[in-house]
Amino acid sequence: MSIATRPLALTINGQQHGPIEVPVELMMLDYLHEYANLTGTRFGCGQGMCRACTVIVDQDDGSSHEMRTCITGAHYFNGRRIRTVEGHAQRDEDGEVLALAPIQQSFLEHYSFQCSYCAPGFVNAATVLIERLQREPVARDQLEDTISDALNDHICRCTGYVRYLAAVRDTILSTPGLVKEA
Amino acid sequence: MRIAAAMGLVGLAFIPLAGQAADDSVIERGRYLTRAADCYVCHTAEGGAAYAGGRPLKTPFGTIYGTNITPDDETGIGLYSEEDFYRALHAGEARDGHQLYPAMPYTTYRLLTREDTNAIYHYLMSLEPVEHEAPDSELNFPFNQRWGLVFWNLLFLESGSFEPNPERSETWNRGRYLATALGHCGECHTPRGFMGQTQEDKYLGGSNLGRIWPPDITPQALAERGWTPDKLASYLSLGLSRLGAANGEMFPAVIHGTRYLTDADLDALISYLLTGVETPKTPSETIASADPKQAEGDPAPARLTYMNLCSGCHRSNGEGIPHTIVPLTSNSTLRLEDPHNLIAVLLDGIPLQDFPGHARMQAMPGYAQQLDDSQMAELVNYLRTTWGGQPGDVSVDDVAELRRSEARSAE
Repeated sequence: MSIATRPLALTINGQQHGPIEVPVELMMLDYLHEYANLTGTRFGCGQGMCRACTVIVDQDDGSSHEMRTCITGAHYFNGRRIRTVEGHAQRDEDGEVLALAPIQQSFLEHYSFQCSYCAPGFVNAATVLIERLQREPVARDQLEDTISDALNDHICRCTGYVRYLAAVRDTILSTPGLVKEA
Repeated sequence: MRIAAAMGLVGLAFIPLAGQAADDSVIERGRYLTRAADCYVCHTAEGGAAYAGGRPLKTPFGTIYGTNITPDDETGIGLYSEEDFYRALHAGEARDGHQLYPAMPYTTYRLLTREDTNAIYHYLMSLEPVEHEAPDSELNFPFNQRWGLVFWNLLFLESGSFEPNPERSETWNRGRYLATALGHCGECHTPRGFMGQTQEDKYLGGSNLGRIWPPDITPQALAERGWTPDKLASYLSLGLSRLGAANGEMFPAVIHGTRYLTDADLDALISYLLTGVETPKTPSETIASADPKQAEGDPAPARLTYMNLCSGCHRSNGEGIPHTIVPLTSNSTLRLEDPHNLIAVLLDGIPLQDFPGHARMQAMPGYAQQLDDSQMAELVNYLRTTWGGQPGDVSVDDVAELRRSEARSAE
């Protein structure tokens, strides 16, 4: 029996991938791990609950949103642009990390995660939130609720979320233009 | 079953307390009947005290709020006598004489025996009084004129009580009492006329209330969709079965109501719901009308959409994940002739729901953002023809209409 395939082409972290023949039934997470050699996106529950496998999808209108790659087929992303946890830091020409993104740095400074399994999903979710606030700033007194709503679905079993919340809040407050002046 | 055993134990525990015994056993019976009558769902606000009212019920005539039925003198039914309570359930009249709106299903509860309304009354009176004024109804003219209900009642409130059918078994008659008088299934599952009255000639034939339409649950319709006594027993006691998980308004009806039925009552209810249906010895779970597997060649666009957005949870063969994701191969909603509910669920998704026995069905995302009307119609037709045994006759306009109606109700 042969496995049905079809060509897949997409942009990951600004780089063109494919076209390459990929099984019709392949989930995106497996594509990232096995075809693109991007292993930072985590396989957690495998059923769309924990959000460790979340990546960012960039829309043509400049907006971005999260997608879960363990329950979304690779071919859904055909022709789309996505970002994974590997795409946030500044790198030199050889791909070596020069500087982490502010949200990544903030997670480290706040000791937001321990085992790190959920961290890629949190980096992407927080990034989507920050990009949304750049387009639609919120009032200061709604900030905590906004962060909770945006990150609520992501599961962490180590640090109890408080350190993630503090890190995201600090990053937002220290980034100009994300919070509306009273 | 455990529930039955527990009820038995509770009953036994009260026997030695002579004098007190009669009252307590009546109260315990009242608790059971209150659950079987599903009073909780309409009379408890989200996050509010049990039976203290405040839950909004949206009707085509405006919004009505479930009232406080705890024994608080000022805001509840603390001053009601047995007789007052009976009149409210039978004639739709509150203690002070004002007419209740028929959202309170007195047209159905009138079938309750006096013994049962008394037991319910004594259970409610045994609760802690909660002081909580339910909001006033927000009905449009002329429906906000309660005196008009006198005429509505003349037209639609029948007199008489529950009459057992002597040609049927005691079990069947008990089931009919549970379905009609207590469970008031017909209030949602029977279509309504233009004045909001249930159309009794189409009893349980399905209606169009709310976003998820209560489906046709007449015996033949249930059987055609694959419902057997054991599947119905699983669904009504656990909220889960191979034919689907309780969703929409049926979820609280199971969680606060039918799950508490004793084995005997559950059997009775099911024997009534499946009246006249011959149960096949080996029930067919699958109505397979197309082979979902396409080993060779490029899949059809709808199959690719299914693989990309659905198969991660429902699996490529539609079998789902036990205790987590319902199978589609035997799904009752796919087998409905009217695609309304299938489209609505695909657009809106289903929230995460906890079921009895620590079971939990995870949330289903809505795909209103990911799929346009054309892609959605293709997917709906793929599901209907592959596993539903229904024709692929859903149009782009069908999807567009449901998308618009959701946008309207969200405004």
